[in-house]
Amino acid sequence: MNNGKLGLPSVIATGVGLIVATSCLMSVGQGAGSLGITFIISMLMACAINITTALCLSELNALMPNLTGGLAQYTLASFGPFISIITMVGGYLVCNTIAGSAECAMFGNTLTGVFNTKIPGSVFCIVLLLILIAANLHGIDLFAKIQNVVAYGLIFSIFIMGIIGALKLGTGEVVEQPLVLTSNMSDIFSMVGLAFFLFLGCEFIIPIAPNVKNQRRNVPLGMILSLLIVTAMEIILILGMHNYTDWATLAGDAAPHVLYGISLFGEFGKYWMALISVFAVVSTVNSIISSLAYICAGMAKIGLLPKVFMKKNKNDAPFVGILLIGGAMVLINATGLSTTSQLSLLILIGCVFWMAAYCISSLNVLVFRRKMANVPRTFKVPFGPVIPIVGIVGNIFMIYNIASDTETKMIIYRTVLVIFAVLAVYAFIWVKKVMKRPLFKAYEVKDIMAMENELYHLVREEQKKSA
Amino acid sequence: MEFKRIEVVTSLYKLSDLQKALGKLGVTGMTVIQALGCGVENGTQEYELEMKKTPELLPKQMVMLVVEEGLVEKVVDVIKKELYTGHIGDGKIFVSNVTNIIRVRTGEEGKAALN
Repeated sequence: MNNGKLGLPSVIATGVGLIVATSCLMSVGQGAGSLGITFIISMLMACAINITTALCLSELNALMPNLTGGLAQYTLASFGPFISIITMVGGYLVCNTIAGSAECAMFGNTLTGVFNTKIPGSVFCIVLLLILIAANLHGIDLFAKIQNVVAYGLIFSIFIMGIIGALKLGTGEVVEQPLVLTSNMSDIFSMVGLAFFLFLGCEFIIPIAPNVKNQRRNVPLGMILSLLIVTAMEIILILGMHNYTDWATLAGDAAPHVLYGISLFGEFGKYWMALISVFAVVSTVNSIISSLAYICAGMAKIGLLPKVFMKKNKNDAPFVGILLIGGAMVLINATGLSTTSQLSLLILIGCVFWMAAYCISSLNVLVFRRKMANVPRTFKVPFGPVIPIVGIVGNIFMIYNIASDTETKMIIYRTVLVIFAVLAVYAFIWVKKVMKRPLFKAYEVKDIMAMENELYHLVREEQKKSA
Repeated sequence: MEFKRIEVVTSLYKLSDLQKALGKLGVTGMTVIQALGCGVENGTQEYELEMKKTPELLPKQMVMLVVEEGLVEKVVDVIKKELYTGHIGDGKIFVSNVTNIIRVRTGEEGKAALN
């Protein structure tokens, strides 16, 4: 029964709030600082590829509605457990942990920059993470009530500051500089990977689908409009940055949004952007720790992760996931991650995992079109296989063009391959020894849907105890 | 004009959404019958460990409607999309021929009896 209360405007607001994060601003700063307004072309390409993914995810959701495990469940039904664990369990968890770590690093950079302190940014990051881990373990969602407020505050601020900058209405000094730094296509292509980071997260709209009025229309439409609105916001911001912030300085700054705020409005701009972005970072990281812990629990439900991830403490919090995800972020930030180049590298590594996951999602659509051709779909991606194929090719293209120089590309590919290799070993052992299933045999959809039922696990636990 | 009977066996909680969807299509009448039934799973719930050896009848609802032949494909498509969840127990649709329809009060037959 569709008891949806959220209309299309709410879906769009949620979508934009989920997609926009402070680390996106670093991507904009670096991209625009390197290419000038030509970065907009890179952004449009990345947005288009993300729209194909949004459409594919909508069709997958129509086939397997109301699931908690995320993308892994679709892949389990199409390619079996081995591929699902590597790309979705490992890959997806890895990229989200990386995104959260990058957000934390931005938090540290913002505080260090604003208060001009000698305390390393990583100290602020680790303190923040420890507070958020503790809060989540206590089942407290510190920002539940203000999450939307701070997300919309960031969006509103970006929008307003972009317009003020684009129309040259700021109090700061206008900078004279060329609009375009390069129009070389290979430079534009090499920035599509960075631009891709601006649009990540639309798939988080899928879990709220049961609460959406006329979800068959509003969920896919909401995802697409969210992506387009984010694109428009970032384009206006880039035009504003052109007028007030030197491109080279922008590209090298670890907190370009604060730099832009200072350029536009001086001290007021600095504190405005700092305040909004601090709250937004905290809110984003809190969401990532909490939602990833629940995704881990969902994946444990379908047997792809150890059952220990389903365990909850006395505060009803999935504590194993919280400690692991939070702990991983603490470790990453303890390495002193703070410079623009370090953050960019981390973001690009995360992007490759995300692109791989999105690639698989598009492939899932094609597999299901063949395997389950007659199954009713309340949403079907139009134009046959064209859009999924464009999505697959687009994501592979972005992986190939993840960085402009070969050395950085090799570092990224090597890191990704090492992590995939580790995941492959885990996946092999887990599927063969624990799940005792063939590596590549797909599950039946009805079995995956059954695993969503709490009674499914209860009955099996009881059987184990009595055996 | 040819008519077809569409009988839908489905679970109890889907009726309200189905009614609304059929109403939007312009379906002018339906009959709902409380029923007991099972399919190839013998009434086994999706979370149970093994399939039941003897059929166990579960509470269901059967919705019966008669439509013009030209509308059958559209109506069946709407019903399928409305009932689909991917879980066992989504239901079944039966389509059969109807030779005539008569409105008792007026004696009208055929399409006039449906309007």
